[in-house]
Amino acid sequence: MESTASSPATPRWNVQRPFLTGHFYQESKSTVSQITDSFSKRGSQNPIGSYPTSVQELLLIDNLLSALVGIEGRYISTKRIRGKEGHVTFHIDASTDFTLQELAKRLFPLCENFVVISHFVESRSHFKNGVVNHAFAAALRALLVDYQAMVAQLEHQFRLGRLSIQGLWFFCQPMMGSMHALSAVIEKALIDNCSGSAVLNLLHNQAKAMAGDNAVRSLLEKMTQCASAAYLRILERWVYEGIIDDPYGEFFISENKLLQKESLTQDYDAKYWQQRYSLKNGIPSFLLSTSETILITGKYLNVMRECGHSVQVPVSENSKLMSFGSNHHYLERIKAAYDFASGELLNLIKSKYDLMSKLRTLKRYLLLDQGDFLVHFMDIARDELIKRPDEISVEKLQSLLDIALRTTAAASDPCHEELTCCVERSSLFNRLSTLKDLESGVKNLGFHTSEVKIVTDSGNQTEPVNITGLETFSLSYKVHWPVSLVISRKALTKYQLIFRFLFHCKHVNRQLCGAWQVHQGARAHNTSGTAISRSSLLCRSMLKFINSLLHYLTFEVLEPNWHVMNDRLRSANSIDEVIQYHDFFLEKCLKECLLLLPELLKKVEKLKTISLQYAAAIQRLIPSIYIPETNTSNDTSGLGTSKRRRSRQRFVALKEAAENKTVIDSVMKFEKEFNTELRSLGPLLSKNSHAEPYLTHLAQCILGVRSEQ
Amino acid sequence: MPREIITLQVGQCGNQIGMEFWKQLCLEHGISKEGILEDFATQGGDRKDVFFYQADDQHYIPRALLMDLEPRVINGIQNSEYRNLYNHENIFVSDHGGGAGNNWASGYHQGQKVEEDIMDMVDREADGSDSLEGFVLCHSIAGGTGSGMGSYLLETLNDRYSKKLVQTYSVFPNQMETSDVVVQPYNSLLTLKRLTLNADCVVVLDNTALNRIAVERLHLSNPTFAQTNSLVSTVMSASTTTLRYPGYMNNDLVGLLASLIPTPRCHFLMTGYTPLTVERQANVIRKTTVLDVMRRLLQTKNIMVSSYARTKEASQGKYISILNIIQGEVDPTQVHESLQRIRERKLVNFIEWGPASIQVALSRKSPYVQTAHRVSGLMLASHTSIRHLFSKCLSQYEKLRKKQAFLDNYRKFPMFEDNDLSEFDESREIIESLVDEYKACESPDYIKWGMEDPDGAMSAEGNATGTLDPKLAL
Repeated sequence: MESTASSPATPRWNVQRPFLTGHFYQESKSTVSQITDSFSKRGSQNPIGSYPTSVQELLLIDNLLSALVGIEGRYISTKRIRGKEGHVTFHIDASTDFTLQELAKRLFPLCENFVVISHFVESRSHFKNGVVNHAFAAALRALLVDYQAMVAQLEHQFRLGRLSIQGLWFFCQPMMGSMHALSAVIEKALIDNCSGSAVLNLLHNQAKAMAGDNAVRSLLEKMTQCASAAYLRILERWVYEGIIDDPYGEFFISENKLLQKESLTQDYDAKYWQQRYSLKNGIPSFLLSTSETILITGKYLNVMRECGHSVQVPVSENSKLMSFGSNHHYLERIKAAYDFASGELLNLIKSKYDLMSKLRTLKRYLLLDQGDFLVHFMDIARDELIKRPDEISVEKLQSLLDIALRTTAAASDPCHEELTCCVERSSLFNRLSTLKDLESGVKNLGFHTSEVKIVTDSGNQTEPVNITGLETFSLSYKVHWPVSLVISRKALTKYQLIFRFLFHCKHVNRQLCGAWQVHQGARAHNTSGTAISRSSLLCRSMLKFINSLLHYLTFEVLEPNWHVMNDRLRSANSIDEVIQYHDFFLEKCLKECLLLLPELLKKVEKLKTISLQYAAAIQRLIPSIYIPETNTSNDTSGLGTSKRRRSRQRFVALKEAAENKTVIDSVMKFEKEFNTELRSLGPLLSKNSHAEPYLTHLAQCILGVRSEQ
Repeated sequence: MPREIITLQVGQCGNQIGMEFWKQLCLEHGISKEGILEDFATQGGDRKDVFFYQADDQHYIPRALLMDLEPRVINGIQNSEYRNLYNHENIFVSDHGGGAGNNWASGYHQGQKVEEDIMDMVDREADGSDSLEGFVLCHSIAGGTGSGMGSYLLETLNDRYSKKLVQTYSVFPNQMETSDVVVQPYNSLLTLKRLTLNADCVVVLDNTALNRIAVERLHLSNPTFAQTNSLVSTVMSASTTTLRYPGYMNNDLVGLLASLIPTPRCHFLMTGYTPLTVERQANVIRKTTVLDVMRRLLQTKNIMVSSYARTKEASQGKYISILNIIQGEVDPTQVHESLQRIRERKLVNFIEWGPASIQVALSRKSPYVQTAHRVSGLMLASHTSIRHLFSKCLSQYEKLRKKQAFLDNYRKFPMFEDNDLSEFDESREIIESLVDEYKACESPDYIKWGMEDPDGAMSAEGNATGTLDPKLAL
């Protein structure tokens, strides 16, 4: 006998002693029948036909009463049917009086049904068949006891001489229908070797099919109820406690223990939430409509248990899952359990684990909602960040970040301690292209093959040699279970992508501010007509561009979308809704931040690069010309004269500057390059703005008012 | 404590508006009159350290230097409830206490004499900060101390802290009334030169406009100094909110100013604020949506610089840049809509030679100051019509100078010794060129301005330092 590993073995006598269990019909019919044959051969010297009809009737009733409990008699023999497990047919001695024969034959189906049922009861009581079968078998056994009691009563009547074969028929008639219906079910169950929910389905469907026959239907419903009692206990533990107590694998929810919750914080493609618990095939039909709810309810309870909260749905007598009856109470109770579980979990994650403040922290630091710490961080970490990514000491950055956080407004926020630094190896663009699902997002956006090719190209492309920490620096945030359900690795990665984009924009902005300040230093000279005035206007254009871009990213993308998400999260009813809204927010932000539009992103990056080159060049060129070394100390012969001398120096320098074509040339070169790129951005934006309406906002921001006129 | 800002308050007016400014900051950050953080204000998430530092005993002390040549106003401060707020070492009153007699030259000269004392104070404050971002100077340009000593300070700061930003809040005199300071045009002109050459950004606070706003907008028949000063402190505190309540952008002074100031010299900013209320005034509650606020900010009547231009010229005035700092509970989706509406209705006349649009900074409002309106807004704008203010100063100067009036008071001081009035001429030319530059900004081909006109480019510099090689021009 094969058995699943989990089910205990059946005692050996169960197999060895077929007569104790009724097993003989299957196991040893041949030998047994030989024995009985020989008995009958010896005992029944006289065929029944040789007796008078009244004697025949008595003999037959005696035999029939045995046959009703599955035992063959002298004149009624059994015959096993090949291929049909547990089936026997009853045959009557052909010499019997014809009338009696017909009457007896009417009773045979009942006998056969009994054999089938009792076979089922015995064979399905084995451990390996699962609790549903056990429960069903037990219910049937109880029924069979009643049946046998009836047979015993009939026999008693018979002994008193009050039972005729017609009487027997009369008494047996009422149960024929029920027994037949049961055996029909059982036959199917036996053929398909059903277990678990299949049995329940079978019973349920049969009950439905028998809707016209009230007695049979109620019997089948009762059977369904009994059979499902054990199943309900499994279900109950799941929806009330979140525990799968299912030794025989009958329940329709399975657990994949290989998926650990820790993967959420590590693995970009973590499947924990989606696949840790999943629906199997064979959901009982009456639970089909609520199966998702049931799955989710237990899942929520599990999360809470994993958090160390043994939350149980408060169970009262009333909320016991008594039956799957047609009154649908069970549906209401499951709904109640679901409401409770999802409410509790949401409450737990929102209040105890403070999801909203975690999200706010992410917004504050990764989306730069409170950017003052970044200003300070960029001040103090400048030297480290301009190194190549592999030369950067992350530890040093981390300590600098801590300093920056401690000394700015962030200090009062306890969540900042979970913030860490990381330096990635690849540029933002290449990183984007390695994220497969984002790339598919790109394809979905209706871009043509050329754009997609860019993505794949850049995947193979080696990193640009001059990449520095400024391009690859990113913040990370330590997320703990169970908040990691919402802020998974994948979500965090998206935050980081946005952060890196913003961070680099901020960097460009700072450099341009530096360049602006250099120009300011030259205001003592009349600059009109010089490279300075030209350059300061270019600087203004670039600042305008980067500020508008930042404005667009923050006030037109992040802030409104955050606002929407925040409102939605407040009204969310379950953690799944929370996850969904949060993912939607990130997806929308990524898209609207241009990160999924490689063509545009490239253009913007190009503009940023030009701005950076310009800022660097100007900061090198102008001070060398316009601002002489200011190390003239105060102790030299009074300020007045030193000032005069200095202004003379400056003047000389200014003259040099005027002649210094390199400044003007390079300013003009940058101007031309920048304006060309900026002009080409316009059509690109308007081309794509049909598909992506938010690009119109960006165009308005960057290109200003006059582009519309 | 990064990116600190040191405030210098010079002269009577400077100290008065400075005082109001600190009162406002204390209120907004929940700091008591003694400089102690109120219990309710411990969890702010705000940046007090930009403008304050903490003493050993947890007192918050303003990074402020109070300077005057006469003791009256500073004594007033030292006898007020706020006497314990300031660091007493940071208060400078000249020994003789005679003031500057409304004479720029006297103030400048006295400043020169006490340079060491003052710069010691400045250096000490600067050393006390981690990475000083810059200085803010509060003064008036009409009197003697604020203008003269302020000018001297500007030059010195520019010299010694050339890498630091210098922003000024400069009060321009009321030109509608006859002033008791007859030499006001001289003082203004001489100060304007320093504001042009030695400051990174000048926030112009025009007393004429402040008075007008007090009368017309706040319905005060006879506005007091205190009332106009509270307007100033509102502007000053609002313009620093992005530094004190950090948001997405404009978290440092340089970022704030760089986007506003197009060329090194065109760094004069106008301000507008709405809705305006004066302390203790039962304010009318208005509907304040972002659009309302932005629209009102663009109305000339709310702008704190009066326009002296004739109508024809005024219509040529153009915005070079606008930054709207919106405070309060703002639905961020409104921002875009409001900008769109303003754009559609063409409410703003921008310069044509470069990209321009309204920048918006959303900022939190102090939770400790209760206001009746949900949203308030400050506009910082660079507008070409500011040149009319300078033209007015120039014309008043010309009038006085033609008569050679009151020049004797100036000749007493070294700068103007031996009837050397070249300083006046130099200042005039610098202001003239500034007016020209702003005027040029109104034309669409400003970029080419000066390029075609090498002589014009020379003139201002030429007088001061000799002639330039004409090859300079492109």
